[in-house]
Amino acid sequence: MQPFVASISHIFIEMFFFIGSFSRLLQKSFKESMTRPFYFGLFVEQMYSIGIKSAPLVAVCAMSTGMVITIQFGFGLEKYGGKPYAPNMMALSMVRELGPVFTSLMMAGRVGAGIASEIGSMKVTQQIDAIRALGTSPIKKIVIPRLLALLVSLPLLTVLANTLGILSGLAVAALELGLDPIYTFQKTLIMITVKDYTVGIAKTFFFAIFIGLTACHYGMSVSEGTRGVGIATTKSVVASSILIVISDFVLTKLFWIVEKW
Amino acid sequence: MTNKELIRVQNYKKSFGDKTVHRGVSFSLYKGECLGLIGGSGSGKSVILRSLIGLEKPDEGEIIFQSQNIAALPENDLLEVRKKIAYVFQGGALFDSLSVYENLAYPLREHTKLAENEIAQKITSLLAEFGLQGNEHVMPAELSGGMQKRVGLARAIIMNPDVVLYDEPTAGLDPYNTIRIQEMILELKKKGVTSILVTHDMPTATAVCDRMALLVKGKIVFEGNLTEIKNDEDDPVFRFVNGKEVSK
Repeated sequence: MQPFVASISHIFIEMFFFIGSFSRLLQKSFKESMTRPFYFGLFVEQMYSIGIKSAPLVAVCAMSTGMVITIQFGFGLEKYGGKPYAPNMMALSMVRELGPVFTSLMMAGRVGAGIASEIGSMKVTQQIDAIRALGTSPIKKIVIPRLLALLVSLPLLTVLANTLGILSGLAVAALELGLDPIYTFQKTLIMITVKDYTVGIAKTFFFAIFIGLTACHYGMSVSEGTRGVGIATTKSVVASSILIVISDFVLTKLFWIVEKW
Repeated sequence: MTNKELIRVQNYKKSFGDKTVHRGVSFSLYKGECLGLIGGSGSGKSVILRSLIGLEKPDEGEIIFQSQNIAALPENDLLEVRKKIAYVFQGGALFDSLSVYENLAYPLREHTKLAENEIAQKITSLLAEFGLQGNEHVMPAELSGGMQKRVGLARAIIMNPDVVLYDEPTAGLDPYNTIRIQEMILELKKKGVTSILVTHDMPTATAVCDRMALLVKGKIVFEGNLTEIKNDEDDPVFRFVNGKEVSK
């Protein structure tokens, strides 16, 4: 019983430590992003490595999701005569939930892990100290360009995922479910409102902050050499994925309350 | 070397968890001198050095530089101090995503308004001075350990700092590179640069330092010039150099 209690208390302590460090990093990043110098070049560099380089992975994942969901809805609803509604349900799920969440989880894996391990390696080889020793700020040089790049690229990648996911789903609806492609396309366009799109995209700004700051926090906290880099990378992916999934529920509920109000 | 005190460390105390590393370290650094900070592995020499530019904060004590206590300064104010005190990292700490040229250009682009051609000129002449000409576009990973340290040293002094802090600059180097580093430190000393050298390498320490401070069990047990080191079994520096336990 005692080791169980000890490990639970350890988890709670670590969780509170993470919340504290995360909030402090968020506050520092916000404060420092308001003052000169601004490193636009570093932001563009990160946009390329975080945004553009992630596009193929996001595209494949979104297309596969759109196709699978359409088949599941189509064949699942067939016995109730609901097959024609499958594309609509797929499109709605895609823009409100699956597009934003799957894209963010992909980014937490690909980009979050990359950021945590890169910063962790820089910490181990004293490059973070060198940035400070040369009279510059690691928050400005490392954290802010990555965070801004995520804040811009994640919503854009989600738009890409939604578009490709829906188009692939519609293609499957026509080819596998035998639905009229022009009719389902028109119906889907009418069905999805700007509000649906906005709710989905709005979530990604929160997810971008969770992925970026969690990865930077764990990267900067590396203290046990190369082994620590591996641990930080794993922790970063786990923590940001959990944050995305949990906050998704909270944000969904919040957005529904706002919509109804 | 003059009698003008540039940095004063007073009653410096630092612990990491349960482990107390410094129990009240005090010493002074005078303008134009090179002070050798020596001591066994794990005695906390590098921690003190890091504290001199605010990379570490002491638990207690003061570090006075130009009438301000560095130990109490917030991170933003430390950025100004770091333009005047340069730090040479043990492994060079070069940015591995940037070429040698970009590494050297980093502080100039950050803190000066020099035009790109002036930056290029400065870097070319500095690389020649350090025997690194032709390596402008080489990435740090492609350089030998000795060359990385020389580039690290060049990057540290490119802004003409008042003080240079060397953290084990000759550790792991062959005799040729060790001598090159010694020559560079002596060259900088001739130009009036004040410095602190943290090292285990006694030949280098005796070749470049004006004074030595020996750190043992969290305290300075000897501080003085090289002539004060006695050829005596009881002298702590003599014991340290000869691999005997230094207790106090």
